[in-house]
Parts: sequence; structure tokens; C-alpha cells
Amino acid sequence: MKRTLVAAGIAGLMSTTAMAETIGVSMALFDDNFLTVLRNGMIDMAEDMDGVDIQVEDAQNDVAKQLDQINNFIASGVDAIIVNPVDTSATEAMTRAAASAGVPLVYVNREPINVDQLPDSQAFVASDERESGTLETIEICDILAEQGTDPADVYILMGELSNQAAVQRTQDIFDVIEAGKCDVEINVIDRQTANWSRDEAQDLMTNWLSTGEPFDAVISNNDEMAIGAIQAMKAAGMSMDEVVVGGIDATQDALQAMAAGDLDVTVFQDAAGQGAGALDAALKLANGEEVDQKVYIPFQLVTPENMEEYATKN
Amino acid sequence: MAETTHGIGGLTFDPRKREMPAEIGVALALVLIVAVFEALGWLLMNDSFLFNTRDNVDGLFNVARLKIIILQVSIIGIIAIGVTQVIITGGIDLSSGSVVGATAMIAMSFAQAGEIYGNPNDRAVFFEQGLVDLPIIVPLIVGLACGVVAGGINGLLVGYTRIPPFIATLGMMVTARGVAKWWTKGQPVSFPTDSYAAIGAGMMPVVIFGLIAILFGLALKFTVYGKHTYAIGSSEDAARMSGIKVARHKVLVYTIAGLLAAVAAIVLSSKNLTAQAGMGIMYELDAIAMAVIGGVSLTGGRGSITGTVLGAMIFGVIISGFTFLKLDAYYQEMVKGAIIVGAVVLDQWRQRRKASKVEK
Repeated sequence: MKRTLVAAGIAGLMSTTAMAETIGVSMALFDDNFLTVLRNGMIDMAEDMDGVDIQVEDAQNDVAKQLDQINNFIASGVDAIIVNPVDTSATEAMTRAAASAGVPLVYVNREPINVDQLPDSQAFVASDERESGTLETIEICDILAEQGTDPADVYILMGELSNQAAVQRTQDIFDVIEAGKCDVEINVIDRQTANWSRDEAQDLMTNWLSTGEPFDAVISNNDEMAIGAIQAMKAAGMSMDEVVVGGIDATQDALQAMAAGDLDVTVFQDAAGQGAGALDAALKLANGEEVDQKVYIPFQLVTPENMEEYATKN
Repeated sequence: MAETTHGIGGLTFDPRKREMPAEIGVALALVLIVAVFEALGWLLMNDSFLFNTRDNVDGLFNVARLKIIILQVSIIGIIAIGVTQVIITGGIDLSSGSVVGATAMIAMSFAQAGEIYGNPNDRAVFFEQGLVDLPIIVPLIVGLACGVVAGGINGLLVGYTRIPPFIATLGMMVTARGVAKWWTKGQPVSFPTDSYAAIGAGMMPVVIFGLIAILFGLALKFTVYGKHTYAIGSSEDAARMSGIKVARHKVLVYTIAGLLAAVAAIVLSSKNLTAQAGMGIMYELDAIAMAVIGGVSLTGGRGSITGTVLGAMIFGVIISGFTFLKLDAYYQEMVKGAIIVGAVVLDQWRQRRKASKVEK
């Protein structure tokens, strides 16, 4: 059925009516800065194309709601579905629903647990989280080594503990240390979660400061928490030259903090690139073309030297 | 034995009832929790929770810790003061967290600076319209108006349509979160003017929390507004029959709760120098928990601002205590939940005992 439709579409390319593709998108949640950039990357790309309609829905961090949305997309006859999974371990049901209805499915940003068992009509577009924390930690190590701070005492700010990226980014830090890729000896004073939030990180950092323990670096799972830590340290009268702070995401706020000399390291995850990549893969699958099942958009290290390049990207 | 018995209607004044106000119990719980952390500190960390052990700092107490204990709960504490009054009327407000999100987004977009570190802030929401570097009164009025509108709608729904407060404010919770996301299509709003940034800087959130607590503490105790609030919560029918305009009063109480959520939003966005659509998620539950730990009864008619402030401080002590002990993040939430339930169980038990003592 789909194939005949596609064939009819191709046959009809010469005719006056362009073939319209409808893509259903289910995002894990709307009120997340990074996912917003990703979502807008998709929307912008779709708007620039002729005959591509995308319908974006918000799963509000609810696994069940997301599966319902996918089933609704299938019922309304979309040509392909893009899913930014709420929970990476709950993707099997989505894969089955889409596969049995013959609708192509692309996972974006978060790696589904069944990524190695995906059927041919499904793909995964993201960045490899093992790069992000590694790039961040090694750069922080290099800065510490340059300063001659050895051994270095660090605090780690973790994202939501139920989130795979948070777990992986924290693991990256320890992997770098254990693999001997760090030029200085790292002593982790404490690691706590601030749930990706600037406000919680601000309070957590102030609590750490109240212990009076000296430290040399703060390694954060994302930029928002790094900025929160910076605000707390500044409020306590600390000079930001004394401490190395690293985040991940290269958000606008983070780049401004870097311009002010407060943030030392961040890592750019190409959100818009992931969104565009996912839409591209979805359109190809809808047209019966073959795609790579795993498309990795690389992370990029951002430091004061190259931050200009990223000013307009996120 | 009490000789003086006077009162209005069937209410008699019994001095034994006044022997131990609910707040004393909460205050004792606070002291107990602090003592536990102090003891665990010496036992496990070889450091003091409360007192200064650093050579490079003067003073008896660890002032930095005392400050953060109260600072980290002041913003939700401001919400809790509004929620306390709603709960005393026998209602509930589930919308405050979302109202914080929506208000922060909207107010912040009128508080953005035109320049960041010398560059034009062309990502400001109203940059093209030239609405940057506005006087501080603009975001303040816009923000407070958001709270009044949201709270007012809650109040009208609860007061006049008679739908349960749980449903009315649940609707507002969902709607206001939608507004927060829609306002900038999910984009964060950052870089406020210096004057807006000053509202939540340093210990300002604590000062604002304190002033609001005193204001409403006095209002509840000594004004007609307070007496009506308690009367409605104790018995709505009795209040109506004694001539209190119940619906109108509820609109007022819910509007105040909305207004205080807006104040919290302004302080929060100023403190963080950013507004984000996800701000304030779950704040309503923390605020309700603070009130309940502070002895505010969910059935209405009982509770006080003092209790809620103490409840907030218990929250603050727990958060700081856990960080002090370097307790693993996973256990923190488990213990926090247990403490919330434990505090209420204790309070119920104390209330029952007091009631049976009075009956004798």
C-alpha cells in the first residue's frame, strides 16, 4: 500500500501537484531548552521544504502519553514518525506499533534500548554521549594541568538521575580519570544531582561552599547547572579565575558566561543538526530510500578561543 | 482548672487548649532535626553542622550554612504562605508551580536588558519592538497582574461555580504551564536589567519572604480578613449563616495566593537571571508539604503562617543537612518523603491526644 503510494508519488512528480509528506513528531517534553532548539531545527527545515507537513506533539515526560501519540499518528496516516523518547527503555512498544503499521520511525537525541534490533524501516539520529563528558573532562584536566593544579579537588553536578545522558556524562568523568587520560590527579569531593536546574545548582553550590572545603573545579552535566554554580560562587565573593567550571550544551546563556570569563569549557551538541538529521532520515524512509540506522552528529568542544563560531548555532 | 469560660455561641475558651500551640511542636521538631544532623556531623564527618569550625572565618556559627538553609526555601516559602491561607479555608491550590512558570516567562520578557557585555541583546523577546531596558515597574506590574489574573480565576471558579478547588486549580496548573511554554515557544528568557536582577540578589529572597510572612501572619491573626478565613475553613455553612460572604472571600484568598506565586516567580527569575518554561514544576507540592509539616490542617480551619515558616525551615535544614553529610542523591528523596509523612503522622497523633485531653 505504502509502496504503491510512494510509486504514485514519484510518478506524479511531473504533474502539477507536489506530493505532500506528513511527519508526526512526538517530543519528550517542550519545556527543555535543548529539545526546543532540536524541535525548532526540524520545524525550520520543514518550513523551507515544499510539501512537508510536520505535526509536533508534547509527551510531557510521560511514557504512556508518548505511545498514545504514536498510535494516534499511525491512525491518522502519517508518512513517518519521529520520536524523542521520554524513556529510552520504553521504546520497544513504539518500535512494534510503528513496524506493524508499516510506518517508518526515527528516534532522535536519546538512544533507544533496542537500537541494535531496529527493523529496516527505523533509524536513530543523535550524538554519542560518551563524547560529551569525555571532551569536557579532558579539557578541564588540561586547564588544571596548565595552571599546575595537581592534585585537583572537584565537585560534580549531575543531571536527573533517571536520565541516561546524565548517567553517561557522569560516567565519562570517571572513565577519563580511570583511563589515565587526565593529566592531573582528580579527587572528587562530592557529587550530587541538581536535576539539570540552574536554581537547584545555585543552592547546592552554596551548600557546598558552606562546608568551607577548598576546590579547584566544578564539572557539570549541563550548562544550566554550571551557570547556577557560577552565580553561587560569585555571590559568595569567589573569583572565577580561581576555579575551572565546565558544562555541556553551549547554550546562549553559557556562551555569554564564557564571554564574561566565568565558564571555561562547554560542549556543543548540535541540536538543530539532530533535528534536521532526523527529519531527513524520516523523509528518506518515507520515500523507501535506505538510510544508516545509526546517524551520529558529533559533539564539539567549545572554549573561549572558538566560542564565536557557536554564537548563532543554538 | 479553668474558671473563666467565655466565648461566642458554643465556643468556650479553655486555657488548656492554649498551653501548647501547634507551632511549638513544629519548632521542637526543627530543633530535633538540627540536633540529629549536628550529632551525625560529628559522628560521620568530624565537622559541625551548625557551628563554625573554620580557622579563616570568625564567628560562632557557620553563617554561610545558616544563610543557605533559609535562602533555598524562601522562594517556595513565599508560595507556601499563599497556599497556607487557601488550605485554611479548606481549599487547595495546585496551580502555584505553573503560575510561577508562566509569570516568570512573561515578567522576564519585559525585564530584559538591551545589551549584554556591550553587545546588543537581539535575542530579547521584545527586542524588535524596542521594549528592552524598561523601568523595573513594568515587569513588576505585568508579573503581579499575571498572578492576580490566575489566582482570581481560581477564586471565581471555586467561589461561584462551586467546583472542587482540587479541580479548579488543577485546570489552572495545566493551563498556566501551557502559557509558560507558549509565550516564547519554549525558549528561555535571560539577561534582565540590573534593577530587575537586584530583586532576587543575595539574601533579598529571604527578606521578601520574611516581610510577606510577617504581613500575612499579622493579617491572619488580627484582622477581619483572617477571622473570616479561619471561619470558612472551620465550617463553611456556619460562616455563611453568620453573614460572611463566603464566595467573595474565597476569591480574595485565591487571588492573594496567585499574587504570592507571582512574587515568587519574580524573585526566582531575578535570582537565576533567567526564566524558563519548566520553572516551578512541583513547587506547589513542596509548598503544600511545607504548610502541612508546619501544622496546617488539610481539612481547613487550622494552621498558621508561623507554622508554615517553620515547616519551610525544616525543609531547608533537611536539604542542607543531606548535602553536609554527602548523602547519596538517591537516598535524599527517599528520606525527604519519609520525613514529610512522619511529620504529619506526629502532628495528627498530637492533635488526637490534645483533643482527648480536652474532652476529659
